[in-house]
Formats: sequence, C-alpha cells, structure tokens
Amino acid sequence: MELGTFGAILRFAMQIEEQSAAFYEAAGKVVPSLQELAQAARKRLARLEQARREGVAEMILESITGLDSDAYAVTLNPQAETAALQAQSQALEEATARFYRDAAAKLPIREVARLFQRLAQEHESAVHKV
Amino acid sequence: MHYGILKNYIGGEWVASTSGELLDVHNPATDEVIARVPLSTADEVDRAVAAAKEAFQEWRETPAVVRSRYMFRLKELMEEHFEELARTVTTEHGKILDEARGEVRRAIENVEVAAGVPSLMMGYNAEDIAAGIDEDCILQPVGVFCCVAPFNFPAMVPFWFMPYAVACGNTYIVKPSEVCPVSQNRLFELLDEVGFPPGVVNLVNGAKGVVDALLTHPDVAGVSFVGSTPVGKYIYATAAANGKRAQCQAGAKNALVVMPDAVLDGTVAAILTSAFGTAGQRCLAGALVLAAGDIYEPLKAKLVEAAARIKVGDGLDESVQMGPVVSRKALERILGYIEKGVQEGAELLLDGRRVAVAGNPNGYFVGPTIFDRVRPEMTIAREEIFGPVLGIIPVADFEEALAIIEAIPYGNAASIFTSSGKWAREFKYRVKCGNIGVNIGIAAPIATFPFAGMKQSFFGDLHGQGRDAIQFFTDRKVVISRWF
Repeated sequence: MELGTFGAILRFAMQIEEQSAAFYEAAGKVVPSLQELAQAARKRLARLEQARREGVAEMILESITGLDSDAYAVTLNPQAETAALQAQSQALEEATARFYRDAAAKLPIREVARLFQRLAQEHESAVHKV
Repeated sequence: MHYGILKNYIGGEWVASTSGELLDVHNPATDEVIARVPLSTADEVDRAVAAAKEAFQEWRETPAVVRSRYMFRLKELMEEHFEELARTVTTEHGKILDEARGEVRRAIENVEVAAGVPSLMMGYNAEDIAAGIDEDCILQPVGVFCCVAPFNFPAMVPFWFMPYAVACGNTYIVKPSEVCPVSQNRLFELLDEVGFPPGVVNLVNGAKGVVDALLTHPDVAGVSFVGSTPVGKYIYATAAANGKRAQCQAGAKNALVVMPDAVLDGTVAAILTSAFGTAGQRCLAGALVLAAGDIYEPLKAKLVEAAARIKVGDGLDESVQMGPVVSRKALERILGYIEKGVQEGAELLLDGRRVAVAGNPNGYFVGPTIFDRVRPEMTIAREEIFGPVLGIIPVADFEEALAIIEAIPYGNAASIFTSSGKWAREFKYRVKCGNIGVNIGIAAPIATFPFAGMKQSFFGDLHGQGRDAIQFFTDRKVVISRWF
C-alpha cells in the first residue's frame, strides 16, 4: 500500500512495532533473549503514538510520494526453530530500519523525521543482538 | 455510530432542548445521519446567559493561577482523548485524519497558551507620573462572552477564544455550527470532566435564532465569530448596535504568487496542500495562483499532474489525501461554481466533478479541480468557493500580481513563492492581507500569534489567539494614586 500521508506513515510504523512486539513475545518463549526486543518495540510504539499526536503541523501536511509498505514486508513465524527465529528477527530488524531511514527522508515534519532516524539506529543495533 | 439527539450544557448540567426543531447531522463521506441537533430557543439562551452571569463573580475572584490549573486539566484530557476527538472531527466534517489531528493539536495549543494567564494578564505601572503620584494599569475580566463557530474547524475555532476568555476570568457560551456540532459537544463532556464551577462554560446548540438571542442579550459582553463575510458583517453590526465588543473573522479569496525564481517542486506541494487540503474548506485555502513570467507553463503542468494523483475518499481511511466536502448543499454550490467557470471561459484543466469513490456512492465528493486562464473579473476569481477549486492566472510580473490581490475585496491571507529575499520582503510589506506566507501555502498563525485578517475578511480590531485574545477578553482599568 502506498504511504501517501503523514498519518499513513505513522500508522504503518506503529503496525510494524506492534507486529514486532507480538512476534518477539511469542518467539521469546523459545529464544528468551528476544523478550527484550519485545519490550523495546512496546516502548517505540508509545513514542510513535506521541509523535503522531504532537508532531502534526497542519500548515505543512504535504502529500508524500515514493513510499510503499509492501517494500518492507517480512514473513514471520514465531513457531519456528531457534535458527529460523533468529534469521526472521534479523530480517525484521533490517527491514524496519530501512523503512525508518526511507520514511525519515520523506517526512515534512523535522521532529518526527529525527525520531525516525533514532528508531532506525535502534533497529540497526538490534540486528547485531539477534 | 450515532450520537443521538445532542443536548445543551447549561450551568454545569446537560439539558435536553425543549425546542421541537431538530436538524440531521451527516457523515459527509457516507451521507449517514450521525446525530440530531436541536435548534434551541431564546429562552434556553436566556438560561445559559443567566448561568454564566451568576458564575462570573466567583470565577473572576478565583486567582489566575488557580484558573490556569483548569486549563492544565483540560489539556491533559484532550491529550488523553486526542485520537477519538480527531476521529469525531473527521466523521462529522469529512477532512482527513491528519488534518483532524492538526486541528485538535491547534485547539490544545490554545489551551496551553491560555494556561499562561497569570503572566499574560499582568498589568503595568509607572511611578512618579507627577511628583509623588503613581499610575497602574490593571487588566480585569469583563463578564459573559460567547462565540458563534463555523463548520470547517468544529473542534478548533471555539478554542481560539474560549480558553482565553475563561482563563481571564470571564464566563462563556459556545454556539457550535449546526452542521458540525458533535466535536464541540464531545469537548464539552471533557470540560464537564475538568470540573469548572457551574456556569463558567456553557454550550447552546442551534442556528440563527440562538445567535440573535445572544447578540441582543443585555448580559452578553462580547462575541467572537468565524464564518462568511455577510454573516460577519451582520454579527459585527448587531453586536455594536447592542453595545457589545465583537471580533468577526469572515470570508477569503487567497492568492498564491509564484515568482519565476520559485523552487518548483516545493512550491507545487505547498500549493496543492493549500488549495485541496480540507477539500478547500479553509479560510486560509489558496484559491488563485498568480504565476509570474516563465514559471507559468512548468508550474501549471506540475500542478495538474500532481493534483490528478490526489487520492479522494473517506477521511477515516489513512491512505486518503482529500476527503469530501461538508454537505450536499456545499457540493452543489461548488459544482455550480465549476459550471460557472466553464461558462465564463476559463479553461478546465482538471475536472473534479467526475470523481468516484469506491464504496462511498453517497458521499459528498468533488475532486481537485484546476482552471487555467482565469481572469480577475470572472466569478470564480472574485467569489469565495470554499471547495477544492484552484484558478491559475498568468501574470507578467510581481506588480501585476500585487494589483490583482489589491483588487480582491478580501484580505485574509496571501503567499509568495520565491527564492528572492527582496521579493519576499516587498510582498510582506505591501500586500494588504492579515496572514502572509513566504514559501508557505497555509499561513496559519500558531496559538501565540493573532489569527489576523484585513479588509472584508475581518471586522473588529482584536483577533483571536495570543495576546490579542487577552486584550479582547479584558478591560483596562487605570488607577492614579497619591498618598498624603
């Protein structure tokens, strides 16, 4: 789906974090170290919700082009074996970091773009943890 | 969702109107009836004014710092219910969720600024204005104020006024738009939760009958209004005739001047947001592009190409970039203007009349519409359309653009797009409009600045928001003292 508005981008970011949290909570039963990533995803969800509420500036709500949620889709199966779970986690973190970097470059609201850059960094460093 | 028959909020109680007259409130994306609003009676206005008058003395004696704490509580509740408020705005008005969030955010900003009333309301003094004589200026609240709100920002506009009035120690009555009354009714549920003393804030639903009762009531001190120019003039004149202060924000026909040195991509994005955001139903919406010199052809091509890609639909769908217009009546009026533009010889480059929204066959949708070769004397160049219709007028240079703006009777907003500081400075210095954008399509003042306006776009002297609001909602009392 094309992410053509500020709200669509924030909603997709929140969906990714929600999906990550659910995945890591389930996968953490097999690989306990992944529980920590679930907590981090829940925290990011709260930060995104705050950004959507406080970061909106009506005078620069310009349409956004060139961003599609399909480009960041990752297939997840929390019932998989340990090695597969780690591979999925890595793919998820990489795709999410890439989404935040791409979206930060498109967002017209500087504070929210900065938040996205920080979230990209968090996901990039999580790649090394899984 | 159906909000039922809306009630009035008078003296700290929700009370059903005794009026038998009810209007349907529609979701403009679906045409469904989402609420019914009563057209309250003059007696009900009288009861609201009596409650506000009774509450005034105790409220004005409440220390400013205590009054500001009510604002903090209100802000917290609005933050807590932010998303729900935004969805309510979209459901009753049609604007997309991002725009509704922006509106609720701006309403909250005004509460935040009003919470600074202990500082904002301080007076000033001078010692020894003559030997041994001092002079003080004290700001005091006035009494009962009211506002008559428009449909296009149903949550925000009353918050340009009410938080300041109440923070300053006045009491207040809101008359929301009868087309979009639900958001304000929901906000009053939060105001009720804040726990203001009974009568400090009141809400009376209705239409012209309520307005007239407020304007002629001897116990109402002043009125704030946002809406069309004919109604603004009427309210200003009636308020003045009845000895009230008034601030009336009225209609607009905003021009966007694009100079040959403008940054094209950024300019196109800003113009589209200005013209088609909130489906053109903003008093700050860009209605005319005055394209100077060589930029005219490339600008026109890019505007049409980008506008044609705007996704129109139900504002609750986050992928949608432009929602419906507010009512079937508005839709018909806008379609009439498009027809008029064609008849008068403007070239229709993009025709929004053919827009179809899958799954919403009954919505009041009109797509982005762009006319080229518009001439200043055409109806679509002179009258406020209040819909997603943009006219392009090619002009030779800056002076011709300025002359066209000068001839427009309205003076709400104007923008210039340029890379030249000289042209930007010249524009903001000379143009007779209240809100000026430099490379900004929607010159919307934040809460600490007045929402300005000139010519036929504003009647009064003090505007909503910021320091102007504090001045409007207070009297200045001068005390000259000498001690023997």
